Parts: sequence; C-alpha cells; structure tokens
Amino acid sequence: MAAALALSVAVVGIAASSHAQANANSPLVNGEWLEKNLNDPKVRVVEVSVEPGLFERGHIPGAQNVVWHTDLVDTVKRDIASKEKFQDLVKKLGINQDTTVVLYGDNNNWFAAWGAWVFDVYGVKNVKLLDGGRKKWEADKRPLDTRNASVASGTLVIADANQKLRARLADVRAASDSKNVTLVDIRSADEYSGKIFAPPGSQELTVRAGHVPNALNVPWGRAVAEDGTFKPVADLKKLYADAGIDGSKPIIVYCRIGERSSHTWFLLSKILGYDVKNYDGSWTEYGNSVGLPVVNVAGTVWGGK
Amino acid sequence: MTETAMVESASAAPPAHRPASALSPARAFLVGRWPAVSLAVGILLTITIIAYISHGNGHARTALSLMFGAAFGIVLQRARFCFFCMFREWFDERDPRGLSGLLVALAVGMIGTFLVFGAWLPDASTGRLPPDAFIGPVGPALVLAGLSFGAGMAISGSCVSAHLYRLGEGSPTAPFALVGVLLGFILGFVSWNPIYLALIADAQVIWLPRYLGYAGALMGAMAVLSLLAYAIHRNRAPRGVTPEVDPFTAIFVSRWPAWIGGAIIGVLATLSYLRLAPLGVTAELGARARQIAGVAGVAPTRLEGLDSLRGCIAVVRDLALSDNGVFVLGVIAASFAAALVAGQFAPSWPTSRQVAQGLIGGTLLGWGSMIGLGCTVGTLFSGISAGALSGWVFAAAIFGGTAITLWGGRRAGLLLRPR
Repeated sequence: MAAALALSVAVVGIAASSHAQANANSPLVNGEWLEKNLNDPKVRVVEVSVEPGLFERGHIPGAQNVVWHTDLVDTVKRDIASKEKFQDLVKKLGINQDTTVVLYGDNNNWFAAWGAWVFDVYGVKNVKLLDGGRKKWEADKRPLDTRNASVASGTLVIADANQKLRARLADVRAASDSKNVTLVDIRSADEYSGKIFAPPGSQELTVRAGHVPNALNVPWGRAVAEDGTFKPVADLKKLYADAGIDGSKPIIVYCRIGERSSHTWFLLSKILGYDVKNYDGSWTEYGNSVGLPVVNVAGTVWGGK
Repeated sequence: MTETAMVESASAAPPAHRPASALSPARAFLVGRWPAVSLAVGILLTITIIAYISHGNGHARTALSLMFGAAFGIVLQRARFCFFCMFREWFDERDPRGLSGLLVALAVGMIGTFLVFGAWLPDASTGRLPPDAFIGPVGPALVLAGLSFGAGMAISGSCVSAHLYRLGEGSPTAPFALVGVLLGFILGFVSWNPIYLALIADAQVIWLPRYLGYAGALMGAMAVLSLLAYAIHRNRAPRGVTPEVDPFTAIFVSRWPAWIGGAIIGVLATLSYLRLAPLGVTAELGARARQIAGVAGVAPTRLEGLDSLRGCIAVVRDLALSDNGVFVLGVIAASFAAALVAGQFAPSWPTSRQVAQGLIGGTLLGWGSMIGLGCTVGTLFSGISAGALSGWVFAAAIFGGTAITLWGGRRAGLLLRPR
C-alpha cells in the first residue's frame, strides 16, 4: 500500500510538471518556460514571500518584490489592499495591459496565490503562478539573483473590486444552510474536527474550534505533489469529485486567515474552472462570531473545563 | 594568568635561535605539535565535509552557517575577541588594544551592513526596516538587560560568545556559565510578560538611518567611534616591545592583533547578513531554554509581543537544530581546533569558585540576553552595525554594568583581580 502510494506520488511528480504549459490559457507556468522568458519585457515576475530577507538574499532574476503584510492587505481594516493602494502597486511593478504577471513565493505559493486572488479581484488579466513556487525553482537548481531590477512605471488601470470572488460572513452563513453552495474547509483534519484551534505557533486564534456546519474538508496539501507542484488536472478533478465537489454548484473556500484557501481557490477556479469565492475572513472571523453555530466533533467548543 | 603572560609564554616556546640542522620554519613549528595539529586538521576537515554533504542535500543555508560559525570561532580564539577581556584590559591595565579591535569591528561591520542596506532598502526614510536586522526597542528594559549582562560578564569572566570559544579551550568555568545562561533565559521567559507590558511595549524602535539617512547615520557613528578611540588611547599605559616571532607562531600561537580580528569579524558580519542572518549566538540557546521551560511548565506559553520584536531570539522551534544552532556548534568546534594548534587547550577541574561564578554570572548573562533580545554579538555588535540605537544603549549599559560590578565586587572582596 505504502509502496503503491509512494510510486503514485513519484509518477504524479513527474507528470505534474508537464501540465504547466505556458500557453496563454494555462494559469500555471513551469520553471523551464520562465527561465527561457525572463528577458521578455512583457513578462513581469513578482515574488510574494513572507519570510523576511528571503527575496533580498536571492530571487528569480528580474523579479519584483511584494510584501504581503503591507502591500496586499489593509492591516488596520483587516481587508484586501484598497483600490488606490493596489493601483499604486501595479504601477510600481511596471504592469501594462499586455503584461503576463508570474507570481511565486515561499510557503508553497500560499501568499503568491493570495496575490493572484487580489489581482483577479481588481480585474488584472494574464496572472499566472509559477508551479511549485520558490521551493521547486531552487530544487531544480535554477539561478537566483540579488540585484533589484528597476522597471518603468506600469500603465494598467485596474477595475473596481469584483465582489463575486470574495465571500463575506453572511455568504458563508447562507451557504451553510443552503444545498446550492458548497463550502470547502481546506485546513488540516485536526483543525476541521476541532482537536486543535490552529497550527502550532499561530498567533491568531479563535474562541471556538471546529468548522462551519456542512463544510467539506479537503486539506490543501492533498492537491500538491511531493515537489510542491499541483497534481495533474485529472487527479485534481478526481480528488474533489470524491469529496463531492464537481463544479456543478458555486463553491466557497476558507481556512484560518485566508491565505492557504487562496491556494485552493486558485486551483478550483483557475485550473479546474469552477465558480469559487475565497472567504478571507475564514475561521478567525467565523469561529469568533457571536450567535453562529459551529460543528465540533472533538468536544473542544469552549476552552474551559 | 593574564592574556599577555599567556602569549609571552607561548611565544617563548620555540627556541629563539634555530638549531644548526636548520629545519624549515614550517617543520620546526610542527615538531612536537603534530598530534595536536593532526587532530585540529581532522576537526576542520570534518566540519567542511559536513558542510559539503548538507549543501549537497539541499541545506545550503545550514552548510553556510556551519562555515561562518567555524570562521567566527577561529577568529574569536586567535584574537581573543572577548568583550569582557577587551574592556578589563583597558579598565585595569589601561591597555586599549582590545577595545580598539572592537571599534574596528564596529566600523567595518557598519560600513559593510550599510552597503547591503543600500541595495535592499535604497530609501531609509520610508518607515520600513531592513529585513531581519537586529533593531530593537529602546527603553528602560534594555538598560536593565545591559546592566545584568555586564554584571554577568564581570562575574563569569566572559560574554556568551567568549564562553563558547573558551569551551573549545577547555575552560573550567565555561560549561557552568552556559548552564547559567540557559537558566537565565528561563528566568527571562518567566519574567518577560510583566516586563514587556511595563517597559517594552511602548518603547520606540529607533533606526538611525531613518532620521539621518545612511550617510548621516554612518558619519555620526564614525564620529562617536573616533571619539571613543581617542578617549581610550589618551591615557594608555606605556607598552613594552613585543618580541618578534616567526610567521607560524604569529598566526597559530600568538594572540592576533585585535584590530585584525576586529576587521575580519566586521567582514564576516557583513557577509553573514548578506547571505543568512545577522551574527548572533543566543537564538538557539534561547529556543532550547524555552523548550526546557515548557517541559518544566515554568514559563508562560504565550510571550507577549515577542514575535513582533526583532532580535537574536527564536520563538517557535522544534527539535531540529536551527541554522543558529549549527553556527554555535561551528564556533565551539573550530575554536577547539584553533586552541589545539596554539597549545591553548588546557582543560582543568573546576574549583567551587569557578562553578559558582560561572552559574551566577551565566544566569545574569542569560537574563540580560533574553530581555535585551540578544547578547554582545546580536544586540550590541549586529545592532550597532545595523544603525540601531538599541545597540548603542545596550553597549553603554553593558560596559557600565561591568565597570560597576568589577569595582564593587573587588571592594567587597567577592571578585578577584586576575593575578
């Protein structure tokens, strides 16, 4: 069994890199394509990592740096970056109408996927993820650079925020009672069951552990191969179909603070083409809300004894 | 035995006139030393092979940490780069050489670090801080931490990094001092929350280039370093002539001139910040202390605000050795190799006074490192190099604490002057 699993993982790993075509329709690019196209003025590579100093000590040559904590979110309002702030960022990154934006980062591209979601919310087209992110690029021994590339200001004018890509608490509450919307909780099984409140070391916690009633649990990690790349489309389709998700109904994904769920949002909406909203309030909002039911099979609804 | 006496006796070891058989200097040096030299070469080879293998297995940062640690350990041992000894030599004997070495290290480290900053954060006034530089909050807690650390240096006879290289020399005090450091860290974790809320939460994080620009901060710091250099040289004691020694003895046995050690450490600090992280030796010790405290159930599970502060402190850690842990092991192993070649590996049984001074001094060092978010290497040296006001304040508090403790301890008959 274990051997079969290992073999399938290996096969998937080999196969996974093959579906990252850089054709205009694919949401993913692979390292091979990117390395060949680094000097293309119409390709803009952007790193979104959270470990400080990572970009500075070596990034994909020519890449621009985006700091998730300050560039893509409004920390005071707990919101995505405002339209004005994001317009400034797009200009600074040198993004034009005909630019292909390739995002990548640390932590399995979680924050790069969050970036892809925000780019999509503001109507920026041609945004792709580097399959496997930093981890795969480094594992493939591709070059890194420490110099900062300067780019001319971009001219792209962004659209108003598209609220269709974003779920709010009320949407989640309604989806929980509805047969017509699928809720997907992408956290670990232990977080989903309420055995733990959050992964170790997380600062942001909730009063209650567990999950939104009727949410399905498909941990984000099941969608990726050993090397961090997305599994092939057929495997992804099967993985979600087995969990009861086939794209016939709109989907809402959530996690703890909205960054891991961006990863699943990206694959369900961009790779599989389903109708998906990201609930960035996620469990830290829902689990702390007054008057909302939770499902807690582990019996840790209240931390008290 | 004082450092100078040690150097003199060591440098007096080879015969002043070479025998008629005229061995080459290299062979003459190796006569009688070859077992120690072979062992030292074996240690350094082992370090290199471990680094090579871990690099090949995709742990490039770990490999680099190990090599940086080894280089740092060799320089510490050869230049006797010990913050306490440098200060004491000037304080007791008006010998400014050690402190001059520290000033050189700070000047070189600052120029190098600022060069890196210029590339990473071209405009210092944006309100952003350079990534993971040790720029901490400046307030009463930092002063208390410095005073405690300074007292710990005076009582245990070294700072944390020097205890690491002395461990490599077989010092009887160092092991107890490092146990004390762990205890001190645990006490730091226990007392962190009230101290943070009362004295650190509202303290300002002041990065001088934000207000003065890189050039202004650099010129200001150089002016201060120059004034300090002038002050410590003004009343220096007259020195005897150092006897000429052959190059092998000069490199492998005698104490390196402090300014050379300082310059190398300044370069090492720059390269380390460029490739890995600022130099520091307490992150792993602190993380281990926190694990012990967690197992013993004495420290609070939540340390307020610690995650948002910058310094040589690691918060969450599993059982794997961090890059900083590998760095510290590199320091110990390489300083042991350097001490072997120099004939300065001299283990001895500790006296009860050494045990007590090690434990008490180490505890004060550990508590100061925890509350000050680093030690003489992290908060003081890497901090000043990064243009952090916290580095300067910590330095003033540390040397103040050392001076007060030496003076008071000797008057009370508790601390002995080195014979």
